Amino acid sequence: MAAIEPMEQFLVRKIAPLPPVVVPGLGPVDLSITNSVLVMLIAAAVLMLFFLAAARRQVVPGRMQAAAEMIYGMVDNVLTGGIIGDKGRAYLPFIFTLFLLIACLNVLGLAPGGFSVTAQLAVTSALAVMTFLTVIIVGFVLNGLSFFKLFMPSGMPLPMALLIMPIELISFFVRPLTLAMRLFGNMLGGHVVTYMFASFVVGLGLFGLEGAGIAKLGLLGSGVSFALIVALMTLEFVVAFLQAFVFAALACVYLNEVVNLGHGH
Amino acid sequence: MAGLPPAPPPAGGSGGLPQFDVSNWPGQMVWILIIFAVLYAFMAWIILPRISKTIDAREDAISGDIGEARRLRDQAQAEAEQAAQEVAQARAQGLRLAAQAQAEAKAKAAARQAEEEAKLNDLVLAAEARIAEARSEAMAHVRTIAQDAAGAMVERLTGVAASGPELTRALTAHDAA
Repeated sequence: MAAIEPMEQFLVRKIAPLPPVVVPGLGPVDLSITNSVLVMLIAAAVLMLFFLAAARRQVVPGRMQAAAEMIYGMVDNVLTGGIIGDKGRAYLPFIFTLFLLIACLNVLGLAPGGFSVTAQLAVTSALAVMTFLTVIIVGFVLNGLSFFKLFMPSGMPLPMALLIMPIELISFFVRPLTLAMRLFGNMLGGHVVTYMFASFVVGLGLFGLEGAGIAKLGLLGSGVSFALIVALMTLEFVVAFLQAFVFAALACVYLNEVVNLGHGH
Repeated sequence: MAGLPPAPPPAGGSGGLPQFDVSNWPGQMVWILIIFAVLYAFMAWIILPRISKTIDAREDAISGDIGEARRLRDQAQAEAEQAAQEVAQARAQGLRLAAQAQAEAKAKAAARQAEEEAKLNDLVLAAEARIAEARSEAMAHVRTIAQDAAGAMVERLTGVAASGPELTRALTAHDAA
C-alpha cells in the first residue's frame, strides 16, 4: 500500500529545464517548464481556443457563441457593471481575464492527474499582488493625490479619523494577503480533503477485503467514503467557479473604491 | 508540519507544504504574470471587442426590427382608421341621400295631393254651383207652377180667370206671410 501523502500532489516538478533568465529587477529566474507552468499554459491554450471558436459574429448565436456571450454578459452585468457601474467597462478586460484564468486553473486542478496551480501560494500571491497594484495605479492615475482620501472617510471628526485611519490603512494593505490566502486555502483544502477520502476508499477497502468478521465493515466505510468523494467533487466544481467569482468580485470592489472615489464610498 | 528552513527537496516531500518551498516561487510568479498578460492582451484586443460588437449588433438588429414592426403596425392602424372613416363617410352620405330622396318624394306626393285636392275642390264647387242653379231654376218653375195652379183653382172656384199680375201679387203676399 502506498504511503498516504496528501501534500505530494502539490509538488512542483521540472518537466523541461530551461536556463535561468535574468529578469530585470529580480535577478536570474528559473523559468523552466514545470508541471505547474504546463497547466498554466494548457489553461491559456484552452481559453484562447475556446474564445477563438466561440467569439463568432452571428446574430443568432450557436451554443459556443451563446456560452461566450453569457460569460461576457455575466462579467459585464454582475461584476464590472454591477459593482463598479457605468465606468466599469474600462476594467472589463482585466476582470474578465482574471475570472476566466482563475476559473480555468481551478477546474484543470480538478481534472484527474491534473495539477492545481491555484493551490500554489506563489501563483495566488502573484495574482493578488497584481490586482492590488492595479488598484493602486488606477487610483493614482484617476485621482492623483486625492487617492489618499480612501483612508480618510469624509465628514468624520478628527479624533475619530485618527482612530479610523490606521484601521483603514491596515485593512487596505492586507488585501493582497487575504485575496491570495482565500483562493489558496480553498483550493488546498478541497484537494487535501478529497485526497484523504480517496485514501480511505483504498485503505478501508483493502482492510475489509483482507480482514474477516467485523473488519468487513471496512467495505462499508470504503463505500461511504466513495459517495462522499462524489459529493465533494461536485462541491469542488462549485467552489472552483465560486472562488474565481469571489476573486474577480473583490477585485471589482477594490477598483470601485478608487474609480468612484468621493461619490458614494 | 516539518520545519520550514530545510525545505525538503522533491521526491520525499512528506510533511511540510510544498507550496512554502520558495525556490519555485519566482518561476511560477513570472509565468503566471506572463500568461495573464498574454491572455489579457488576447481578450482585450481580439475577443472582447468582437463579442461586444456582436451583442451590440444584435441589440441594434432587434431594436431595428421592433421599430420596423412598430412602424408597420402604426401604418396598418392608420390605414384601418382611414378605411373606417371612409366607410363612415359613405354611410353618412348614403343616409343623407336616402333622406333627401325621401323628402323629395314626400314633397312631390304632397304637391300632387294638393293639386288633386284643388282639382276636386274645383269640381265640387262647380257641381255645387250647378246644383244651386238647378235648384233656383226649379224654384222658379215651382213659382210658375204654383201661379198656374192658383189660377186654375181660382178659375174653378170662382169661374172667373184671375189675371197674371193679380196672381203674382197674391203669391208675393203669401211669400211675405
